[in-house]
Amino acid sequence: MLKQAPIFIARKQELPLDSDSSSPFLKVMISIAVFLFAVTLAGVMSINAMLINWNESILGSLTVQIMPVNNIDKAKATAQTLAHQEKAIEALKTIEAVEKVSPLEDKQLQALIRPWLGDGVKLENLPIPRLIDVKLKKGATLDFAQTAEKLAEATPYASLDNHKLWLSKLISFADGLKMLALAALVLVILITSGAIFYTTQTSLGLHCYIIEILHQMGAKDAYIAQQYAKRTAWLGLVGGCIGVLLAVPTIFLISGLASQIEGGIISEARLSAFSWLIILSLPLFSGLISMLTAYYTVKNTLQKMM
Amino acid sequence: MLKINQGDPIIEMQNVGIRYGQGPEILSDIKLSLKKGSFHFLTGKSGAGKTSLLSMMYLAQKPSRGIVSVFGKNVNFTNRDSLAMLRRRIGVVFQDFRLLDHLSAFDNVALPLRVCGMEEQEVKKRVVELLSWVELSKHMQATPATLSGGEKQRIAIARAVINRPDILLADEPTGNVDNDIAPKLMKLFVELNKLGTTVVIATHSEKLISDFAYPRLHLQNHGLRIYNANDLTGMGGGSHA
Repeated sequence: MLKQAPIFIARKQELPLDSDSSSPFLKVMISIAVFLFAVTLAGVMSINAMLINWNESILGSLTVQIMPVNNIDKAKATAQTLAHQEKAIEALKTIEAVEKVSPLEDKQLQALIRPWLGDGVKLENLPIPRLIDVKLKKGATLDFAQTAEKLAEATPYASLDNHKLWLSKLISFADGLKMLALAALVLVILITSGAIFYTTQTSLGLHCYIIEILHQMGAKDAYIAQQYAKRTAWLGLVGGCIGVLLAVPTIFLISGLASQIEGGIISEARLSAFSWLIILSLPLFSGLISMLTAYYTVKNTLQKMM
Repeated sequence: MLKINQGDPIIEMQNVGIRYGQGPEILSDIKLSLKKGSFHFLTGKSGAGKTSLLSMMYLAQKPSRGIVSVFGKNVNFTNRDSLAMLRRRIGVVFQDFRLLDHLSAFDNVALPLRVCGMEEQEVKKRVVELLSWVELSKHMQATPATLSGGEKQRIAIARAVINRPDILLADEPTGNVDNDIAPKLMKLFVELNKLGTTVVIATHSEKLISDFAYPRLHLQNHGLRIYNANDLTGMGGGSHA
């Protein structure tokens, strides 16, 4: 005779993975990994933003220096220097890749030296060079050697200050830094996956008795692997949330310290809304990686059983 | 699913040998053919290899040599998922019950249904019905640790038959129960056999066997002898039942 089924019977997981001693370790491990990953990723994305800005704003321009003419008569010396500047401007304007040639005004030059010499400095009393800002056409490539030659022909007082030369070194350095950070990210993923791999294998060893019974009841490997995947995905998600919660203030702190650096180069390293979205979605990513690692670890390990 | 008709061979063994590691063969040159709907006792002294032979039948172990076919499939050439599907058609009662201690009686019995992906509503219906049949309705939420040997045995049997298996393999099913329960359990096995389930019961209890006129698979000197139901005459290793 069929009896009335109980209204509610809570289903317990066949594999008591919640009580595994490795679970808290894995949660802490994933939290640390996600924290490191988030901070490093923020660094990578900041460097990337800087590189884009540098390439866009600085690579499209160059600076020409006009060395001051030495003369006891200061007014005459200034007039001669400005005459050399004019010659250089004329020569620069004939170059096809050049879009705009703008000599720096006295006011601009004064602003540049203000941090060192203060206000009220008369430029004609100082042996400082005049500067010409040259903007290049978008996408245009400039033969710097030829330009330097042309300027030398126009006036011996002109010299090319090649941003590209020092910037390319800076870009190579930043690129290297970026690759290093990317390698660190891969390393973090590998170490975390390795930790999940070994803790899962340990857990399989602990629960081999239950697994044998489940197999005997007709459970496929996927059934057992799913239980591990579900549990590890949860640990990955929770660990990921903790990691991101710790990483966000850290990123703000580093960003605040970076913005205090004078020169404006580091201040270009701002994270976009999209970058923040990526950082905030890291718990999902860690959950997914954890889930897949656990799933395939179980599947591969069980293959060795009958 | 491969359909097996009444009288068709359900488990076949040809020249089967089994050894553990580099040790000697526990069983040698086993030839056997169990037909659907048959009932056999598996006998032999302790250490004769009853559990090893059963474990090959319930696909927990592959032979060291020879061919084992279950439901017409050679287990040596069957992939893991197909082996799992075959195991779903085999009910096993282990000598040590092998219940999961952290699960309730209900969850233990529900295990074979859940691994098959059965709807929870249907699982509840079947488990409640079967636990009532083995008179354990009151202990549905009890864990094995709180149950007596006989109660555990009944749960183990309920778990083995919940999936309506084609074969029921029982290893010393009456070994841990009181004398008054043993005949009841045997009656249960006979009833299942009448419903078409192939039954193999490993036992060393002569008293239990003597009450039933079923053929006997007897393990001796690493080989298998099959005694038929009527005269129990030795037919030699490798004969068919």
